[in-house]
This record gives sequence, C-alpha cells and structure tokens, in this order.
Amino acid sequence: MTVRAAFAPTPKGQGRLPAAITPRQIRLRAPALAVLSAALALACGAGLTSGAIPISLVEALLREDASLHRSVLLEIRAPRVLLAGCVGAALAVSGASLQGLFRNPLADPGLIGVSSGAALGASLMIVLGSSLAIGGVLAMVALPGAAIAGAMLVTGFLYWFSSRFGHFSIVTIVLVGIAANALAGVGTGALQYLSDDAALRTLTFWLMGSFGRATWPTLLHAALAMAAAAAPLLLVARGLDLLQLGEAEAYHLGVDVRRLKRSVVLGSAAAVGAGVAVAGIVGFVGLVVPHLVRLAIGASHRHLLPGAALLGATLTILADTVARTAASPAEIPVSLVTSALGAPFFLWLIARERPK
Amino acid sequence: MPTARASPSPGGSLTEILYYLGEEGRIVAVDSTSNFPPEATAYPSVGYVRALSAEGLLSLDPTLVLGEDDMGPPEVLEMVASAGVPVVRVAEAHTAAGIVDKVRCVAAVLGISAAVAPLVQDLLATDAALTRGTSGATTAAPRVALLLQFRDGSPIGAGRDTSGAGLLQMAGAANALAEFEGWKPVSMEAMSLARPDYIIITERGVNAAGGAAQVLAHPAVRLVAAAWTDDPTERLIVMDGMAMLGFGPRTLGAALELAGRMGTVPGR
Repeated sequence: MTVRAAFAPTPKGQGRLPAAITPRQIRLRAPALAVLSAALALACGAGLTSGAIPISLVEALLREDASLHRSVLLEIRAPRVLLAGCVGAALAVSGASLQGLFRNPLADPGLIGVSSGAALGASLMIVLGSSLAIGGVLAMVALPGAAIAGAMLVTGFLYWFSSRFGHFSIVTIVLVGIAANALAGVGTGALQYLSDDAALRTLTFWLMGSFGRATWPTLLHAALAMAAAAAPLLLVARGLDLLQLGEAEAYHLGVDVRRLKRSVVLGSAAAVGAGVAVAGIVGFVGLVVPHLVRLAIGASHRHLLPGAALLGATLTILADTVARTAASPAEIPVSLVTSALGAPFFLWLIARERPK
Repeated sequence: MPTARASPSPGGSLTEILYYLGEEGRIVAVDSTSNFPPEATAYPSVGYVRALSAEGLLSLDPTLVLGEDDMGPPEVLEMVASAGVPVVRVAEAHTAAGIVDKVRCVAAVLGISAAVAPLVQDLLATDAALTRGTSGATTAAPRVALLLQFRDGSPIGAGRDTSGAGLLQMAGAANALAEFEGWKPVSMEAMSLARPDYIIITERGVNAAGGAAQVLAHPAVRLVAAAWTDDPTERLIVMDGMAMLGFGPRTLGAALELAGRMGTVPGR
C-alpha cells in the first residue's frame, strides 16, 4: 500500500493511514533504524564541529591552552545540539502519534494549532508572571507548565471537536487547525498589546524562538519533561496500530480506547509544550519526519515512533546547524530553515491527495 | 589568542556615539539597527539586537561587547560573559540628559573620558539651548502627534513612556497621544480627538505611504489637517526616524530643529 492509498477516501470508521505494510518495509525495519541511528550520530558530529568559530574537536578537548574553544564547545554548542535533538525528537514523535490518533496524515502539531496553543500559554505566563512577580524555581516550572497546558487545551479541543462532529476528513483538520492557530494568535496579539515594556521585551526574546538559549540546566529540565511525555507514547504504539482499523474495532480487539486517547492527547501535548517552552515554535518537523519514516518502514507505530524520534532529532540538529552558520556572526531563525524544507513537502502531500 | 581592540556594538545609538567620539576604529561588528552613519553598515552584522548569537559574538574575538538596554536574549549574553568577554549595557533614558549620560558612559567604558570632554560639552550646550528655549516659551506648548508609519491602514503613534514621547518633551511639545502607553495603532477617531497642532512622521513612514500628499490625504490625518488654518504641509514634519528616536547625539539636534520649526524656541 502506498501513501496515495492513505489519502484515498475510506468508509467511515476505517483507518486512513496505510494499514498494510509491504514485506519490503518489514525487511527494512532493522536496517532503517540502524541507518537512522548512524545518521543521528553524524548529525551530532556535524553540529558539534561546525559553528561561527572554527574548532577542532581533538584540539579543543586535549590541548591545555584551548580553554576558550573548549568552553564554546562544551558550554554553548553541546547543550544546543542536544536540545535541538530532544525538541526535534519530541516534535516528530508527537506528530506521528497525533497522526495516529486523528487517523490523519496532516496532523502536525504546528499545522493544527497545538504549538500555537503552547506559545499562547507561555506568553500568558510571561506577561502575567511579570506582574505577579513569579520568580526562581517557580518561574522555571511555570513557563513550561503553562505551555503544556496551552498545548493540551488545543489538542483536547480538537479531539472533542472531531468526536462531536464526526471523523475529520484529511483536509478538515487543517481548516480546524487554521481556526485554532487564529484563535491562539488573537490571544498572543492581545497579550503583546496589553503587556508593559519589560514584559514585551521578554515576550519578544521568547517569541523569536531559537535553540541559542540552551544551557545545561535548561537542557536537563526540558529533556526530562520531554522524555516523561514521550515515553507513554512509545508504550501505546500497539494500541495506535489497532486504532487505525476504527475505534469500535480497536475496542473489540481489546484496546482500552479511552485510555489510549488520553495518553496520546496528554503525552503529545506535553512533549510539544515542553519543546515550545524552551525553543519557540519549530515548524513542520512533526509533519515531514513521520511521513519519511512511514515511506521507508511502514506505519507500524512500534517502529514508526522510534524511527521518527531518530530522524526528527537528526533533521532538527542539521536545521539548527544551518541556522547558526549560514549568516554568522548573526543567526537566522531555525523555524525559517525547517519551514523552507517543510512547506514544499506539505504542498506535495496536498497535491498527491487531489484526485486525478 | 590575539586580542583585538574591538567592540561589537549592538544598538544603533551606540554605533552613532562611537562615530561621534571618533572611536569607530574599535568597532568590529554592529547590529542590524546600526544604519547611521551609512558607512557603519559595512561592518559584519551580528543580526537583530534582540536575537544575538553567543558563538557568533565570540567568533569576532571581541574584547568588549557594548550594547543597549534591550540587547538579548539574556542567556546569550551570560554565555558571552562567562567566556571571559566583558558585556556592557548602556542605560537608556529618553531625555536630553539621558543622551549625554550615554555618551559619557561609552567614553568611560573606553577610558577616553578626558579626551572627549569637549565633545560632551558640545552636547551639553545643545541641551542648554533646548532647555532655555523650551522653558522660555510664552505660548502654550503645541500638541503634537508623532507617528512611526502606517500599518494595516492605521498610523502607529507614540503614546506615553516611549522614545517618541521623550523627544516631544525635549522639543517643548505636548504629546497629543498621551492617552495610551507605548507604540499603538491610532484610530481615525482617536486622531480627531487628539487634535494635534502638528504631526511628525518618520521619513520611512512617508516613503512607505507614497509621499507627504498621501499622508495628508489619509483618513486618520485628513480630518486633523482640515482643522489647520495655514498650509498643512508646514504642519506635517518629516524627519529621519533614527535621528529622532535613536537617542544618540543626533536626537539632540533633531529636538532643537523640531523646536525651531514649531516655534517653541523663541528667537529662532
């Protein structure tokens, strides 16, 4: 079954992601995951060795007099590369599980408004937090907390909307996503209008979104939050496979559908929210990556989710490497890079869906 | 490691100040708002002042990073500082004294306070001329609306606590848009209620609108201009935005010029 088949209209209740997997895709699973792991290792290497300052890994780590290079490598580049990897993996896994949950290949956290919801939550916390004078440890928890809450609100709303008004068709979800994005945009715009000078400044810093603010403590917190959010998603992979047959069918095959939905809504929203809180909105990773992996090894979530995590991390690290080297000593927003790759891909997906 | 005598200077007014002090030789890079003097744009750009890159800054091998209050993100500057490069933020106040303080601060950081004392004296003289003129005004201060540009059909006006409000105060004018805080779009009705005697707009704003005639014909401006009894082109004052609002040395001159054109300084 091809991706085209995934877009073909199917009777109500039937899955829209490719359910059948070709023998070739099954044969490719183990080698593909090995190749993706190797690619991730190479991307980390490329990320660590490229940057505005030419640094040789060996010299920086071994030579006594290379302390500036060593601190740039260990204090600036390493946490940044790892953070880009974590956020990329979290976005790709969230995208893959949302696509499974909505049985819709266009369910990308950015397109359907989950990322904007997270951004709205975080903005609200920045603006209100500055007037409530929240500081210290509370502020470190409050920002990702608010982002996660915002992401959950949108995901929950989308799920309620789709079950209340029937299964989303392939394109409807993008239309509802436009509405969700617009609503979140209203909120963020209103906050910008209302915020005082200091809050506006913090908000601008934050809305610019970049991995450039990564330090070891922020990396540690974000990585823990994203791992905690993504782990349940990997555990429900089998349930997601069965859900593709339809909710009733999955239920009769012994899947606790309510719990499955709750896990996916909470897990994907938390992973996206934690990522948005540290790096702002990084577009299209959640759309492009699961598709590429699905093309290679099929739609079985037990292999798709780890594959998406690996490829998401790889592509995001490479995109961030481009973002920080292309205009050095300045940098370009990483979302510009991922969107430049992702938007044409999105158009290609829509073109394929159009019946001839 | 070679130590360059260098100061990347994020912040347009600081670049202007370094040129004013004749210290442009120390600059190794500037930010994207540093467009005066025009030759300053020839330096490598470190990007937008609020989205700096830690490694990008360090790659210039600077001995000092000099920037304005609003440079950031803060985490990036902490990284630069912890790599051993001093980061100096120059405080910003939207007054004439604030400009002189900025120049003094830059001179002190560079250790050239004594050498540039005459230049600072010049600025103080301009400041004194402004104060003399504006406090000696006999008529009521003119009401002025300062506009940045038109966005989505509405002019963006300077409310309370903005650099624009600071400039108007320096020039001895009353801010007609003091009803709101910050830079906000001004509706047609709010503009009519504000009843400004003068409208000041940036050159960029006029160019984007397609010329002064287009600005005067804009719905938000037309009603106001209709109430002016003399030539409306005399009451629409067009000036370079960075000269007015950058709060570098040129802003003192801009305030003096505005005061002259609005007659707030007697005898000019």
